[in-house]
Amino acid sequence: MRISSAHETYAQAESFLDTNVQRVMLLLLFAGLVVFPFLADQYWIYLACLVAIHIVGTTGLNILTGYTGLISVGQAAFMSVGAYTVAILEIHVGTPFIFNLIAAGVVAAGVGAIFGVPSLRVKGLYLAIATIAASFILHFLYTNGPSILGGTQGLSMPPARLFGYDFVRPFQLYWLFVPLTALSVFAAANLFRTRIGRAFIAIRDRDISAEVLGIPLLKYKLLSFALSSFYAGVAGGMWAYFFRVVTPESFPLIYSIFFLAAVIVGGMGTILGGILGAIFMTVIPELLKLLVSYMTFIPDATAQLSPIRTIVFGLLIVMFLLFEPQGLAETWRRIRRFFHLWPFKK
Amino acid sequence: MIIFPTRRKLLSYAAAGCLALGIQTSARAADDIVIGASMPLTGAFGFAGIPLNLGIQDYLKIANDAGGIGGRKIKYVSEDTAYAVDKSIAAFNRITASEKVSLYYGDSTGFAKTINAELSRRDSILMAGTSFATELNDPKNFPYQFIPGPDYSQMIGILLEYIAKTTPGAKIALVNSDTEFGRDPIAATEKRAAELGLKIVGKIATPPTSVDVSTEVLKLRRADPDYTIFHGYVLAPLPEFMTQMKQLGLKSKFMGTFWSMDNSIWANSAAVADGYMGVMPYRYYFDTEGTSPTLDKIRQLRPEYQTIYYTQGFLTAMLMIEAAKRTLDAKKDLTASNMKASLNSIKDFDTGGIIGVPISISGNTIPVGRVYQYDGANKTMKPVSDWIKIAK
Repeated sequence: MRISSAHETYAQAESFLDTNVQRVMLLLLFAGLVVFPFLADQYWIYLACLVAIHIVGTTGLNILTGYTGLISVGQAAFMSVGAYTVAILEIHVGTPFIFNLIAAGVVAAGVGAIFGVPSLRVKGLYLAIATIAASFILHFLYTNGPSILGGTQGLSMPPARLFGYDFVRPFQLYWLFVPLTALSVFAAANLFRTRIGRAFIAIRDRDISAEVLGIPLLKYKLLSFALSSFYAGVAGGMWAYFFRVVTPESFPLIYSIFFLAAVIVGGMGTILGGILGAIFMTVIPELLKLLVSYMTFIPDATAQLSPIRTIVFGLLIVMFLLFEPQGLAETWRRIRRFFHLWPFKK
Repeated sequence: MIIFPTRRKLLSYAAAGCLALGIQTSARAADDIVIGASMPLTGAFGFAGIPLNLGIQDYLKIANDAGGIGGRKIKYVSEDTAYAVDKSIAAFNRITASEKVSLYYGDSTGFAKTINAELSRRDSILMAGTSFATELNDPKNFPYQFIPGPDYSQMIGILLEYIAKTTPGAKIALVNSDTEFGRDPIAATEKRAAELGLKIVGKIATPPTSVDVSTEVLKLRRADPDYTIFHGYVLAPLPEFMTQMKQLGLKSKFMGTFWSMDNSIWANSAAVADGYMGVMPYRYYFDTEGTSPTLDKIRQLRPEYQTIYYTQGFLTAMLMIEAAKRTLDAKKDLTASNMKASLNSIKDFDTGGIIGVPISISGNTIPVGRVYQYDGANKTMKPVSDWIKIAK
């Protein structure tokens, strides 16, 4: 039974995980992630890769919206920048995929910082509307811009390649995406133990007070946009390697709403929330689809129940907002608290 | 008193439900031939996905009632994709992970392009779908896919043949949605129009469902075309264009392509749509001209009107089954390359009246169609040309 986690040294206070239980749990999670692709079929591995991509994208948006308090509806547009960067580099330059992914993040960060400029004057819904501009402007650019962007047909690109080995199938890409996602999440979690992360939180809680405390809003708001977009760019690059066809219609506005919903459902301002939100938004519709496919007692259940399935998914989101407004991360915390005292709690 | 379950109970029920779903079983006879489908039953394309799904199911029921393929039953497994590429791929992965799929129906051009490399890698699945994209009409790069009709460039090509014959030297305006779908045939249209001596006097791109088209209409007024060809839309903004152009006294005739040619979509704007023309690769449900035993069978099975989307699904299933049947008759394995070769061996094939002339599939398309015109008084599409075959 653990009743507290007293830190006796600075090293303990700075450690990423507080207790041995947490360390064991994390090790078990890693072991599970290693074993998973050998036990699951292609469908579940595909979903795992998609979840990995969405976790990176959601974590990025969480930095901006959850931690800095700046609402953005441009995450998918910034992902598209990363996807196009990877596709162009892969097709025309042939640089290694890790370099391409980093380049995707850097280019997206630059674009994100530009679209973040209005955040200096507006916030809340006004900023959300301002970020929508990114979707429209970038879509126009992809469609009508230079031929290197492929026009309306977009770009078809070769697979990721490492030491002469092509990463084509979900099983192969899993081994690239999951470590990359883990690294991204770890970096984001650490960010909020640094001066920069604390500045983001201060801006979220009260930007005027933050400025009085000596936090330059211009620098940190743009930095938040850039970091968030960096994550989006990397997620977009992963997306490009996953699907290998990038078109102007690959990243619609609704995809940005998806990420915003994932952040809210998962729990704003928590790293775990971003992860759980991405899993929820990606996997639950598929589970509902499975549920429908098992209803063999209803003739032609797939066709008959598909609209109902969509409604149920919407209702599930509403239910979470009503019953768990702090998101899935809070549910997880409650479960953990329960086991802190288990089995001695009445 | 109503007792609401606690939050914890609700969440635990949800978790239990999710866990229960993880256990999956699948029943399938070992020698069934499986057709999988990523079908857009909901979302923006749901209006077409539901009848497409029904058309495939109906043809397969007829085929199974007739003994299947060489005694082997045909199993159909479809999943809703909400017309999203990532969900279409998920459906593909799930269906192919649990079934030995030989034939597949895809829901979009995006899906067709994305899954193409996987189809080539597997060489076990022949695919068709909703897409008539010109890009897919490339047997070299899309070897295991086919289009159950003409591609979009060929559709416009059929319209141009008709125009060149009825109004030589006509002036044409192109109105396309600003999407991959909409822009697809523009280059081919310009080339073919020049060959046929037709003049392109205006090119307009609009958002796919734009409402305010007055600026574009003013451009068309200046161009004063004899024909205005729309492509890349289903309904909106076609009625707006036609209404405003008629109000301005323009004499242009209006034309469209497959997705904006179903009878039902014009029922509520019959007066505006009167005279609207377009290309149609299939006979309509109500066509009674000549003999069409397959249409008779459809009418018997479904006494109520079935859309052209239904017919597309029905014909696609018919061609898929024909390809599989020819492959098995030749004592070959059901590989994608064998089935595609069998499909390409189809020459002067009688679809039972779905297409009014015998068809041949030498490449990835069936380059034949007919021009129909909407009769607002009777609310029906009526043929105004014979079947037009064009070079592939």
